[in-house]
Amino acid sequence: MPADSYAVAIPVGEISRPKRAAQDSGNQNPTLYWNMRGSLAAQSNRIDDTSLIREAQQGNRAAFEVLVRHYDQPVLRLALHLTGSESDAQDVYQEAFLKAYKNLGSFRFECSFYTWIYRIVTNLCLDHLRKRNVRKEEAPVAVDASGEEYSRLEQFADARSGANPERDLMRRELGRKIGAALTRLTPRERMVFELKHYHGLKLRTVGEMLNTTEETAKNTLFRATQKLRSALAEMR
Amino acid sequence: MKCDWVRQNILFYVYNELEDDARYEVEQHLGRCPECATELKATRKFHATLSETVAEPAPNLLASSRMRLQEALETTQPGGFWQRLMFEPGAWLRQIRMAPALAAAIFIVGFGGGIGATYNFLSARGGNAAVTGSVDTGSGNLPLTQPVESSIAGIRSVTQEPGSNQVSIKYDTVLTQEAQGSLNDQRIQQLLLFAARNNYNSGVRMDSVDLLTQAPDDTRVREALMYALQNDTNPGVRLKALDGLSSFVRQDARVRDGVLRALISDTNSGVRMQALRLVEPMKTDSNVRSVLTRLSQTDQNVSIRSQARTMLAQMPEMD
Repeated sequence: MPADSYAVAIPVGEISRPKRAAQDSGNQNPTLYWNMRGSLAAQSNRIDDTSLIREAQQGNRAAFEVLVRHYDQPVLRLALHLTGSESDAQDVYQEAFLKAYKNLGSFRFECSFYTWIYRIVTNLCLDHLRKRNVRKEEAPVAVDASGEEYSRLEQFADARSGANPERDLMRRELGRKIGAALTRLTPRERMVFELKHYHGLKLRTVGEMLNTTEETAKNTLFRATQKLRSALAEMR
Repeated sequence: MKCDWVRQNILFYVYNELEDDARYEVEQHLGRCPECATELKATRKFHATLSETVAEPAPNLLASSRMRLQEALETTQPGGFWQRLMFEPGAWLRQIRMAPALAAAIFIVGFGGGIGATYNFLSARGGNAAVTGSVDTGSGNLPLTQPVESSIAGIRSVTQEPGSNQVSIKYDTVLTQEAQGSLNDQRIQQLLLFAARNNYNSGVRMDSVDLLTQAPDDTRVREALMYALQNDTNPGVRLKALDGLSSFVRQDARVRDGVLRALISDTNSGVRMQALRLVEPMKTDSNVRSVLTRLSQTDQNVSIRSQARTMLAQMPEMD
């Protein structure tokens, strides 16, 4: 799981690649994710973001690029999980940040930049999921940039493959099952589940991002997990 | 009933989404009810199973996405203030709604401006618009006894003397004023210098330069004439400046250089001819001589070329 790519304080003016010490810590518990965004760190980061946003609004592209680096890893991960294809994920990534850049002038600090950029990304991903549902292309098998087919969730297991081939095989199988179960969710259920389970966001924030209430997000998450549980139980 | 409620909330308990009191109740119940405790175990297992297949995008994918974005950003314009105004007129209204003070200020300035313009127009028609006073129209502590409201362009600062009721206000004015005085009057000279450099009306510049030529002994005046000769867009003004400088060509090397510059590069041939005439008495000067030599050989203007040649021919041979 990603660790905290947000809790990084970058002095404005010093346009450099942020250090992400926490990022490589290999923390794999999603619930820790949110906790690691210590409120203090998040607050100092927000202050940094504010000045970065103001600079970017005045046309400073370097400031915008620093902002991008604060947020782009979870954005790409979200896009990759939801679209299931590297090239689609790249398209969503590109479109989301370009959209943010073009509309930066209309960002008025009414919500956090984090929520704002996620709102853009979630909308793009939801569009993508809906289009795919219309096309009935729901196979968990995806196509990578080189055109080769792979199971989205299998490759995740690959990334952590150890010395135990049997365990790898089981993990691969599990990945395939989860991938298939996830496709049974509606785009919105999928999104809420993704943001809560894999991104560790609070349901209040998820509601804000999806322009709905915390209560609705809660109900959606409940439905999504019920569906996933029964789908996984069927597959066993 | 309690078990139903707990089971509905176990998921949120695992996701850490329960309020403190609900959390406490769930925990209390789980301690007592083995069935619900089993449900908690199952939910946790489900949670852990799903977490096993978490993926990070490959570093290469992230790097290539960043590069692609960077390239696209280079050709994209950010949405700035003006774009917002153009494409989102609603933002205007919101802005004003959000800032009633700004709205009020705009209204007052507009209203005041309108009244001011009317007042100026009416008083000008009355033939009595001129106010004789300090000529400084910039900001400053103008000793105007009765500032006319419409003439105040803006208030710069308001400060109160500590412990008294004395207030000092700095403001800019846009009053049309008139200054009268002799040419020797410093105030008048200052205004003429200002007009010679800055006025957009070339007639006014011409008159100012003309008047200044009557007192060229002053170094500031000489500076202004040099400036006019070099930079004024109107050849008439440049000619006047040349006239004013004529008596200094001999004694002031800077003036001489200025005139030579005009001779070489002025766009108006009349000005150049006049400059040529001015430097004639100084043709033994090495600078003047080299300029004349150059002009006699390469200048595009025939009369200047021949004039320079004549001047050089008349020059006594140097050792």
